[in-house]
Amino acid sequence: MTGTPNNSGKTVLVCCGTGCLANNSMEIYKELKKRVEALGPGFAVRPVLKTTGCNGLCEKGPIVNILPDDIFYCRVRVSDVDEIFEKTILRGEVIERLLYLDTSTGRRVRSHKESEFYRRQLKIALRNIGQIDPASIDDYIERGGYNALKKALFEMSPELVISEIERSGLRGRGGAGFPTGYKWRQCKRVNSFPKYVVCNGDEGDPGAFMDRSIMEGDPHSVIEGMIIGAYAVGSKKGFIYIRDEYSLAVRNVSKAIEDAYSRGFLGRGIMGSGFNFDVEVVRGGGAFVCGESTALMASIEGRVGEPRVKYIRSTEKGLWGQPTVLNNVETWANVPVIIDRGADWFAAIGTDRSKGTKVFSLVGKVKNTGLIEVPMGITLREIIFDIGGGITGNGKFKAVQTGGPSGGCIPEALLDLPVDFDSLDRAGSMMGSGGMIVMDETTCMVEVARYYLKFLSEESCGKCTPCREGIRRMLEILEDICAGRGQEGDLELLLELSETVKEASLCGLGKTAPNPVLTTIKYFESEYLAHIRDKRCPAGVCRKLTSYRINTDLCRGCGLCAKKCPAGAISGKPGAPHIIDVSSCIVCGTCREVCRFNAVEVIGGRSE
Amino acid sequence: MRVIIDGKECEAGYGEYILDVARRNGIHIPTLCHSGALPGQGSCRLCIVEVAEAGKKKVVVSCLYPITGEIEVTTNSERIYRMRRNIVRLLAARAPSGEFIKKLREEYGIPEETRFKVDEKEKCILCGLCVRACEEIGLSAISTVNRGTTKKVAPPFEEPPEDCIGCASCAYVCPTGAIEVQEFEGKRVIWNRAFELLKCAGCGRYFITRQQYEYIKNKHGIDMKEPLCDRCRQKSTAEKLIHLL
Ligand SMILES: Cc1cc2nc3c(=O)[nH]c(=O)nc-3n(C[C@H](O)[C@H](O)[C@H](O)COP(=O)(O)O)c2cc1C
Ligand code: SF4
Ligand code: SF4
Ligand code: SF4
Ligand code: FES
Repeated sequence: MTGTPNNSGKTVLVCCGTGCLANNSMEIYKELKKRVEALGPGFAVRPVLKTTGCNGLCEKGPIVNILPDDIFYCRVRVSDVDEIFEKTILRGEVIERLLYLDTSTGRRVRSHKESEFYRRQLKIALRNIGQIDPASIDDYIERGGYNALKKALFEMSPELVISEIERSGLRGRGGAGFPTGYKWRQCKRVNSFPKYVVCNGDEGDPGAFMDRSIMEGDPHSVIEGMIIGAYAVGSKKGFIYIRDEYSLAVRNVSKAIEDAYSRGFLGRGIMGSGFNFDVEVVRGGGAFVCGESTALMASIEGRVGEPRVKYIRSTEKGLWGQPTVLNNVETWANVPVIIDRGADWFAAIGTDRSKGTKVFSLVGKVKNTGLIEVPMGITLREIIFDIGGGITGNGKFKAVQTGGPSGGCIPEALLDLPVDFDSLDRAGSMMGSGGMIVMDETTCMVEVARYYLKFLSEESCGKCTPCREGIRRMLEILEDICAGRGQEGDLELLLELSETVKEASLCGLGKTAPNPVLTTIKYFESEYLAHIRDKRCPAGVCRKLTSYRINTDLCRGCGLCAKKCPAGAISGKPGAPHIIDVSSCIVCGTCREVCRFNAVEVIGGRSE
Repeated sequence: MRVIIDGKECEAGYGEYILDVARRNGIHIPTLCHSGALPGQGSCRLCIVEVAEAGKKKVVVSCLYPITGEIEVTTNSERIYRMRRNIVRLLAARAPSGEFIKKLREEYGIPEETRFKVDEKEKCILCGLCVRACEEIGLSAISTVNRGTTKKVAPPFEEPPEDCIGCASCAYVCPTGAIEVQEFEGKRVIWNRAFELLKCAGCGRYFITRQQYEYIKNKHGIDMKEPLCDRCRQKSTAEKLIHLL
């Protein structure tokens, strides 16, 4: 495989998203830069070097992408720089070992775009990410950026912008899937000024990083969306609320705002029109609950980031009691594309009631993890097995958790469920902001429920009784069940408390918090019963309810388990079946993991 | 405008809260975090009711749900009763002592808690009234700290609060008697801070802290040449203070 022999017009993109940066990609960029700068004057066309935002493939990073050949290198190390520069950048040769490994075929592909992981995706919100330098407004403009704004300002009335967004069917990507156009219309209708537009970049779901990627990798798409939204509803002031830990996102968004001002996309008389709009960055309060709309607004106003009872919509009384449109980062990033390409184009993608695409962070026990953007209506099976490449280590699929900490677990029987707002809701889970965690058979579903309730009990703001006290007691029951102290009646009590927490809590956190419990009870009840009645954890996770035994038929006596056991609980002669001394075993599961012959079996019912 | 509450037709002003309309019509809805002078924060959720509007049913807190259209309210359906009972059970499991909670528990027929671990000493149900009272006085000497299950009411850094004037309004509004106030030898101790008490120029009883006396004099320009009690001591002063604002 050789590319074009000359080096003319090569662009080298080095991913500098948070994930790649953590793996030293800035060093790679600097080293490449040194080499480019050292090139003699004889070079007519110099390679252009750029840093980009997160490619969504953090696990395969640092990533270096060489255009126009689209050679895509993964897990690049600083020590690879010389070779990349000499061979690929200067001579157009491909370095096989650095290419993207397509797990579905086992072959290395020249561009990740040829892989199954990429081909099934459709990039709208992530359209520019990894392709442009987020610090360069020219890169954004070159790819059609700010065209939509021009079109909105000079060819469309605010009314027309709103009806276009309505017709597109765009629904909020921050969790609840509220129709965006309708929200804007409600705000436009209220005759009270000033009005505000706000971008929710709090992204508190542990493990989620879709909004971060957009803010880091394509900040102008969010800003352009907000200007268009502000024009539509009649707002002159916007805020971008960014989670405090997201320092790179803060930096990139701030830089983009500065550049947008200097090019006349923000400020007075935008693009020569009569429209004025200012926007500023606000750093988040840090708690998960700060992403909730009323808490977020309280936080912007400088008050404690706690939710408030609100029976009047924010579009009527939001920030400082004024009409406010709050949308999620991804929602805003979709707006320019819809205006640019038209509502019909967008509405043709997706399902009947969920249009367009959704970005997910696909993680857990799948071969390919990372950020993906897929058309609504794709099935879970397609995401997990085609894009995700199936379960790691050829394990067996057990459940997929969607929707963030208060989402639900969906079992194998529902794998053909189309992924859209309503189907996920009906399954007892939710779209949430797009977390997707794949679990295999080594996962205990009771433990999963316990894990999420623990998180939620810590993140509940503690203001209202059902959420604060209800989650605490549900957690207490789950902890009991996992520790072998489950009682008859616990399931019924969990269900009853779930109802109260769901219905009577003040804000969305409490109203969704029981989902992990409800879905695991609904789809994996027998696992609960095994814990409660038989004092057995079928997955071999809950230590108090698990013991291991070596199957003498399968054991070859290799002794690996005995060597690795931290408690020294395994004995046996080489070549002969080994034995676990249950009384000294600490149930860490090491033996089960290391055995190459699957001879270590899980048996429940460790006597108390 | 007309609304129906538990089958009864009631007259309501636009934007009026369900709770107020219900009370005016003799319909009892239990409340906890709502008190006359310190309107609802919507945190205890005891006052939940079911609202049917345009064919859709939802659960709302009556202390803060404004009536803006034709609605039908059910304050004590089976579902509401079940959930309210659970809320009382949860509150009782959190703070079992205190007369108020005991009474509620009896009212809802909730047996002694056996399933959950209970802290017998805890009294605070985190209704937030004390914080609201102090805020209303203009001091905010105490606030809620932490999140989730570790949330509690405390002065800044959990040290004797600097801004506190020892008025004990917080203790007065607390429905469960969770805030300790001690008085002895001309001193009042609250939030681990001791305040000097002044004697009433009339009857000679200790009744007001020096800081409270100064605060009322300075901040509110009330002419009190000498401290005078109006008999009910802390109770009425607190009330008065709240009323003044
Ligand atoms: C506990 C909680 C946390 C939330 N966190 C976020 C968040 O991090 N980002 C976000 O966009 N929306 C979050 N939301 C949803 C917001 O309240 C709000 O619905 C959303 O930002 C509206 O934007 P959209 O219509 O574009 O989705 C959260 C909601 C709750 C209840
Ligand atoms: S539901 Fe939970 S997070 Fe929301 S206000 Fe109540 S305690 Fe706070
Ligand atoms: S005693 Fe008065 S000033 Fe002190 S905390 Fe209580 S309400 Fe606030
Ligand atoms: S101390 Fe009393 S008033 Fe304050 S939150 Fe606790 S129960 Fe409510
Ligand atoms: S009285 Fe309404 S929520 Fe507490």
